[in-house]
This record gives sequence, C-alpha cells and structure tokens, in this order.
Amino acid sequence: MNDDILEEIKNGSRDAFKQFYDTYEGYAIRTAKAITKNDEHAKDAVQEAFIRVYRNISSYKSTLSFDAWFYRILVNECYRVLTKEKKSTPMDTTTMEYSEQLTEHPKENLSDLYSVIQNMADIYRIPILLKYIKGFSEKEIATILDLNQNTVKSRLFNGRNLLKNQLKMMEMEGS
Amino acid sequence: MDQLDDRVKKEILEYTEDTPSTLKDDIWNHIDQELFHTKREREKKMKKKSKIIPIIIAAAAGVMILFSTQTDTGSAFIKQIKDIFIPEKEIVQSIEGNEEETNVNLQEGKDSDYIIYIDEERYKLIPGDVSDIITTKEPLEERYPEVSMEIKQYMDIEPSEMVVTLEKELASKYEKVTETESVSDPVKGFKIHGISGSEWNSPVTNVYVVDNLNGGSFVITEKYFLEAAEGHGARFYAMLQEFKIVE
Repeated sequence: MNDDILEEIKNGSRDAFKQFYDTYEGYAIRTAKAITKNDEHAKDAVQEAFIRVYRNISSYKSTLSFDAWFYRILVNECYRVLTKEKKSTPMDTTTMEYSEQLTEHPKENLSDLYSVIQNMADIYRIPILLKYIKGFSEKEIATILDLNQNTVKSRLFNGRNLLKNQLKMMEMEGS
Repeated sequence: MDQLDDRVKKEILEYTEDTPSTLKDDIWNHIDQELFHTKREREKKMKKKSKIIPIIIAAAAGVMILFSTQTDTGSAFIKQIKDIFIPEKEIVQSIEGNEEETNVNLQEGKDSDYIIYIDEERYKLIPGDVSDIITTKEPLEERYPEVSMEIKQYMDIEPSEMVVTLEKELASKYEKVTETESVSDPVKGFKIHGISGSEWNSPVTNVYVVDNLNGGSFVITEKYFLEAAEGHGARFYAMLQEFKIVE
C-alpha cells in the first residue's frame, strides 16, 4: 500500500479509497469466497471489511504490514458472517470452527484438492487458503489470525501433508 | 515452490475466480453509499441543523441564567442541550486485536458539565458529590485490582498547575510514572501513566487532564490491571473518545 494513498485515505479522499478498492478487491473477494464458501456471505464480508478499513485507517500502525492488517479485518469479517449464519441455522457439529479433526468428512471421496481443503477443519483450512491465495508467509498468517507462528507452521504442515497424500491417491487412481 | 504448491494454488485460484463482473461494482456501490453519500447527506443535515443549534444554545443559556435559582427548571433546560447529542450510538473499538462494534449510551456528567457515551452492557456511571465514577456493571472478584474511571472537575486549577500536583501524587502511589505528555487522543490534554510491577494483576493508571475551558480542569483517572490493558483499558479509551465538555 502506497504511503501517499494511505495518507489521502486518512484525509477522507474518496478517489484514493476507490483506487485502494480497485487494487485490493480481487484477492479480497477470492479469499472471502473461499473462507465463507458462499458468494453472498463473501460479498457481505468484503463490504464490511472495506468500510471498517476506511473508518479505522487512523488506527493502522506501520509496524504491521498493511496487507496483514487488511486481511486480519477481512478474516474477522468472514468469521462474523459465518458465526451469524451458524446462529440462524441448526449447528452441524462436524463443521465447528475449533474442531481439531483435520477433515470434516474424512471418508468422503474428494476428487480435487480444493474440495479436500474446503473439507478441512477451519483451523487448518484458513491458514492454507491465506498461504495459497495471497502467498502470505507463516509470520503474516500468524499476525492475521492472531496465532503463534509455530502454531501456524504446524497447522500448515498437517494440512499440506493431507493434501500431499490426497494428491498421491489421485495420481495412483489416474495411472 | 514444488509441484504440490503449484497445483494447490492453481486449483484455489480457479475455484475462486468465477466472480460475476457485477459483484465488484455492487460491493463498491454499497461501500460508496455507506461511506461517502451517507456522510455527505449527514453533513448537509448538519449544515441545516447548525443554523438551528446556536439559537437553541443561546436560548437555553439565556433561560438557564433566568432560572439559575430554580434548580429543577434549570436542569430541564440543560437537558435541552443534551438533546443535541444522540442518546445511543454504535462505536467500533479494537479489543484484544479484534474490531468490535459496541452500543454506547449518552450519560450526563456531574452538573451537566460534560457528556460521555458509556458501554452500558459492561459499565455503569455512579454519580458522586465530588466526582463521577464509571466502573464495571458487575462487581469484580476480590482477586482483581480496582477497575474504574473517575471523572472529576477542579473549577479553579488550570491544567498546567494540575499536572504538577498529579505528577507528585502518582509518584508516591506507583513504582513507575512516565513523563507527562500532550495527547490529542482519546482526549485533548495531558496524560500521565503509572504502573507498579509487571505481573498480570499489577495496577495500572492513566490520568488525563483536560482544560474545562473555564479556567479549570477535568481530571480523568483510569485504573485497571496489566492483564486488562487490552480489555478494560481499551474500552475506557474508546469511551473516553466520546467525552465532550458542555460549554
């Protein structure tokens, strides 16, 4: 994020904020779609995230990378949307956010890696999505998710191992 | 990046790229409306209101002098000034790393000399003879140090003089007291910070001195403990941003 644009946004410039939106919306929508697994929820989360960024831009401190700060807000908005959704629909315990189970439907035959990821418990799924969609480092993911870096490392390791095994199985089936 | 990483990245990007072209515009239109049009509309309304407000204030002030010996009637007119402020609003505060929307309610301070918005789900304002105290709605267990925010007005002590007294007072109560600094947030004035120890329950204080615009000072004393810095500390900070002197 360019410092000049940041400063203009702080001063309330609509044009600067639109420029920022045009730069960030693509990956923001992708990330929100992947996390919420629903276009409408993603739209809601992205809208609110941008609004919060504008309203809280003065609290952003340059000690933190702007992208990490922005994605932290976005991910929190996705959680908010998902929590709201869980409250209004009967709870399926297999999809609980803090379930430690690596996959929610381990016996299901998942034909592609994206489906494997989307069936992982959130604690593994979300770090993986952040790593692959936006290319965030372990340190940045730890900042975004407010976790210890070693925790992120271990979750990525476990998630990646599952993907590796799945890929092997898919290759064996294909050969 | 190995083959697995390439493939995972490719698949995720393929699955998430199918975004209707209208979605981007829909989201922007909503943001634009919320942030910029609503703001403009509010400003327009404020401009209209601003012509009316000085008249109300002038009228209220005039009547206050007239009824200064009739406390009840005087208070009723002070409440008219309060009507200028909305009774309830939503603020966004950063609590332990997360953005949180909180409803806050208008509260009138001692002698109607100030207003503040309070998170009434968690705190209450206890009016006193010499000062007002905002503290937790539910009393804390005994093992926790005091959590409170006191607002006290000194009618005849100017901020610069007040700061000198407070520096001495805090130095006798806290192990470490930082140098007084000028601040513009959460209030415009001076800040002195004191702490004793580095345990979870070490007492912490932030004292703000604000010019009462009438030759005196407001002294706002926050008290909490180290572990509560990002909880109660952050909530006090957000409430204090809503502190306004009623002139």
